[in-house]
Amino acid sequence: MDPLFEAAPFTGYVYPNETVIPWSVLIVVYPYLTGLVAGSFTVSSLFHVFGLKQFRPVARFAMLLALCLMVCVPMPLLLHLGRPERAFNAMITPHLTSAFAIFGYAASFYTILLLLENWFVYRAQIVQIATEGRGPLKWICRIASLGSTDLSERAMHYDHKWIYVLSIIGIPAALGLHGYVGFVFGSLKSREWWSSDLMPPVFLLSAVISGTALVIVLYVLTSLARKVKIEEACIKGLVYTLWGFLMFALLLEGVEFASLLYRSREGIDVILTYVTGRLVVPFFVLQIGLGSVIPLITLTVLVIRGTRGRALIASAFGSAVLVLGAVLMMRWNVVIGGQEIAKTGKGLLTYQPELLGREGLLAAAVVLCMPMILMFIATRIFSPWAEESRAALLRGRPVAA
Amino acid sequence: MKPDSSTDIPARRIFLRNVTQGVACAGAAAGAAGLLAATASRAADADAPATPAVRAPAGEAASFPTADYDWTRHRWAFAVDATKCIGCLRCVEACKRENHVALDAHHFRTWVERYAYVDGNEKPQIDSMPDKENIAAAGSETVYRFANKYRDSKVDKAFFVPKLCNHCTHPACVQVCPTGATYKTKDGFVLIDHDYCIGCQYCVQACPYGARFFNHARGVTDKCTWCYHRVTKGLQPACVEVCPVGARMFSDLNDGDSVVSRFIRENRVQVLKPETGNAPNVYYVGLDKEVS
Amino acid sequence: MPKHIARLLMLMVAFIVIAIAAKSFFTRESFYRYGHYRADSVPAIAGMATSFQTPKACINCHGPRHAEWSGSVHKTVICEVCHGAAPGHPEKLKVLIPTDTLRLCSQCHEQMPGRPTASILQVDLRKHFPDAGQCIACHNPHSPKIPAAALVADRKSAESVTASCAACHGANGVSTNDAWPNLAGQNPAYIARALGAFKTGGRASETMGPMAQTLADGDVANVAAYFSSLPCRTAGSGHAKGIAAQGRSVARQCNACHGTAGRPVNPAWPSLAGQNPAYLEAALTAFKQGQRVNVFMTPAAGALSAQDISNVAAYFAELNCSARSQ
Repeated sequence: MDPLFEAAPFTGYVYPNETVIPWSVLIVVYPYLTGLVAGSFTVSSLFHVFGLKQFRPVARFAMLLALCLMVCVPMPLLLHLGRPERAFNAMITPHLTSAFAIFGYAASFYTILLLLENWFVYRAQIVQIATEGRGPLKWICRIASLGSTDLSERAMHYDHKWIYVLSIIGIPAALGLHGYVGFVFGSLKSREWWSSDLMPPVFLLSAVISGTALVIVLYVLTSLARKVKIEEACIKGLVYTLWGFLMFALLLEGVEFASLLYRSREGIDVILTYVTGRLVVPFFVLQIGLGSVIPLITLTVLVIRGTRGRALIASAFGSAVLVLGAVLMMRWNVVIGGQEIAKTGKGLLTYQPELLGREGLLAAAVVLCMPMILMFIATRIFSPWAEESRAALLRGRPVAA
Repeated sequence: MKPDSSTDIPARRIFLRNVTQGVACAGAAAGAAGLLAATASRAADADAPATPAVRAPAGEAASFPTADYDWTRHRWAFAVDATKCIGCLRCVEACKRENHVALDAHHFRTWVERYAYVDGNEKPQIDSMPDKENIAAAGSETVYRFANKYRDSKVDKAFFVPKLCNHCTHPACVQVCPTGATYKTKDGFVLIDHDYCIGCQYCVQACPYGARFFNHARGVTDKCTWCYHRVTKGLQPACVEVCPVGARMFSDLNDGDSVVSRFIRENRVQVLKPETGNAPNVYYVGLDKEVS
Repeated sequence: MPKHIARLLMLMVAFIVIAIAAKSFFTRESFYRYGHYRADSVPAIAGMATSFQTPKACINCHGPRHAEWSGSVHKTVICEVCHGAAPGHPEKLKVLIPTDTLRLCSQCHEQMPGRPTASILQVDLRKHFPDAGQCIACHNPHSPKIPAAALVADRKSAESVTASCAACHGANGVSTNDAWPNLAGQNPAYIARALGAFKTGGRASETMGPMAQTLADGDVANVAAYFSSLPCRTAGSGHAKGIAAQGRSVARQCNACHGTAGRPVNPAWPSLAGQNPAYLEAALTAFKQGQRVNVFMTPAAGALSAQDISNVAAYFAELNCSARSQ
């Protein structure tokens, strides 16, 4: 007899309504994207706020990357909502006790902030296209330049002040934007796997490492594609950043997991069955082993031995790829893992993602690729590479990026 | 458009430019203020209860939500005597028909759980409607019954526990709703506004009792309403009406002699998962250590 | 301040103003009236149509059935539990008459571990007359209690036992002689009671006494079940002495117990529809003259004249017994 509804298979006892798993792979992709936003923004602010010169080669790139990612962040949510046409209800009448209600405002605020920052960072290029460009792009840039072609010292001085202030505001904003995602899970009483005060910092730290890793990966790939020399100092700086935050992230994740096991509340038997069963590959092998321990060891070796040259770049690249996978697995293990452990504390479910369909794996893959596509298009129009700044070429003097 | 430099412009032009900008700003500000005031007053007018549910005589507050039912006069509660439940599942079927719930074995506004301590085991075997054996015994997913699978086993103890939404006093689901689509009424019901819900399912995650589910047909979440549409007409919830053994009870706590008031007074009652702090309003007699 | 900064600031202010205005504009009318929700939602939910009508809706047209039901142990089971929710009945919806009563009744009454016996009487379906087919073969769903005496069991062994009954009562339960009663389709509880009475001598009969005494108690139940399962004769045979039309008015006082169309109120009482008129006359006369004694029938028959008896017998003989539930 065919079931009338494709529901999740289960063992033990689960509440009847739990057999339909509410949050799909799209809700795994959403915190992953916001995490990448927060992470790339952090890298960018290392230069713009903290003045660490070694990050100059990637600062503007990371800023643009953050914007392209941020613009795609609402996509998985809109695909998931039962009534996406009503999405604005959460902004029109935000229920302030709900972390989700904060999303609309936090995300809008952060998107505007990133838009402004990128506008200031790339304004010289916008003006240049407005004056010397052709076709529709010229007109778009004329509007975008707000009818001003002022690139004088005074104007650029204002621009830099704005970039600085926006970056400073952007740091707590990023913390809030991604911290609240952790709070969405950590504040719930209903699931032992999620309920933890450490959720917001864990999410935040894994966000920073994912963003840093993405910047490393894209920096290496784009430099190879452009046949440009990769700045070792930059890679080293990124390695240190990744290494430090990775240790911190692993520490907090370890504490959270250990706490759960130590307290051994009601339902711990089922959790242990899950952890030693279905979770072994996604968690211990992929997230911890492959995705965290190996990069940590690699990065530690890089730091201690002061590796240089191609070895440094290759190892950093490899570690970054593994870390990107680890953070995706972390989101998966939290979101899907939490739903596979039943609220009864007496059963386990199995999430079976569909391939096609609005909330399927294909949709998730497309959503993950969208920021890269946007980035590709954006870099055809604007150049994020400091040494190629067209405004600098235009004026014949170096532009302080 | 040539690059501009402010040092080239004569003083009067600067002055004119400043004045123009000032006037433009002031005008924009005035226009904005006017726009704000207009929309705010429109919203205020709309919010004012100028059209109550019923035209009441002057001087009397209108009855809400219906002319015959005033929600300020009632405080409802539900009681379950699990020592009486026979697991016939009439309540499950009646609820599905009364409330047009999806007829499959994975969406329930109310359900019954069976606990069976078999063969000397310390932990009971627990099953409910989605179990394959029970679906097979029912013959389809549109009707419900328990398979008599323990009739030849050595059963030390067995019992049934009906479950439904607890309409908590501090509902976690209401707390997490981002839009205000789910709410607690003045007479104690937790309801869902199906015309406002965006279907994010955060409330489904937040409920510790698994009472909420996603209504795929409408793209919104759904749950037991204690048959609000019946109670406001002076009827009982459908599940209470059809229970053949009186395991379910529902009444107004404002009446000290009503069935639930007496039930609470005359029995040692329990609620499910009190440690969550949700303060549920379904009172049970006959729970067991393993009922979660 | 450079031009672009000034314009940017103006743009931001405009954006904020528009955003605030839009938020006010799009906020639904009744929102915030009683709390953080749309107040109009509450009457909308309260106004939804109901489905289950409850028995107070049934009593208007189904008075006698309602009275029967509300005096029985089934009074805690509302009509719509078995008959389905009836919104729009009778204008828009015919109410379901259940046919698979075995499935319907066993949903509550099947013996199952976990079902408290204090809540409900339960039967093990493997042992409780599995060959009876439907529950309503013996139980009146609106008044289901049967006296304990009327227990019937295995039909198969009944066939061998009833071979000797066929000589008088016919192979198919339809008598060869008008004076002897048809047994086919008769209520099993009644047959069992009659046989029991013959056995003990409570009911005197020179033929039936010895016959009944050859039966063991288990055989009694089997015989009763066997005959009741046979299709009944649609009309009694033999020429009735009385006039059926006149018997109808007399029979009104019989209907209270024996039912109309051959369905007695209590299954332990005999169905009279399609019964041989000669037998009915003999029975009523025996009650009237005291050869048979029964707390109900003695005064009932005593009130009838001989002509009444003939007419009543003729009336019942002509009734079609197949309208009975089976």
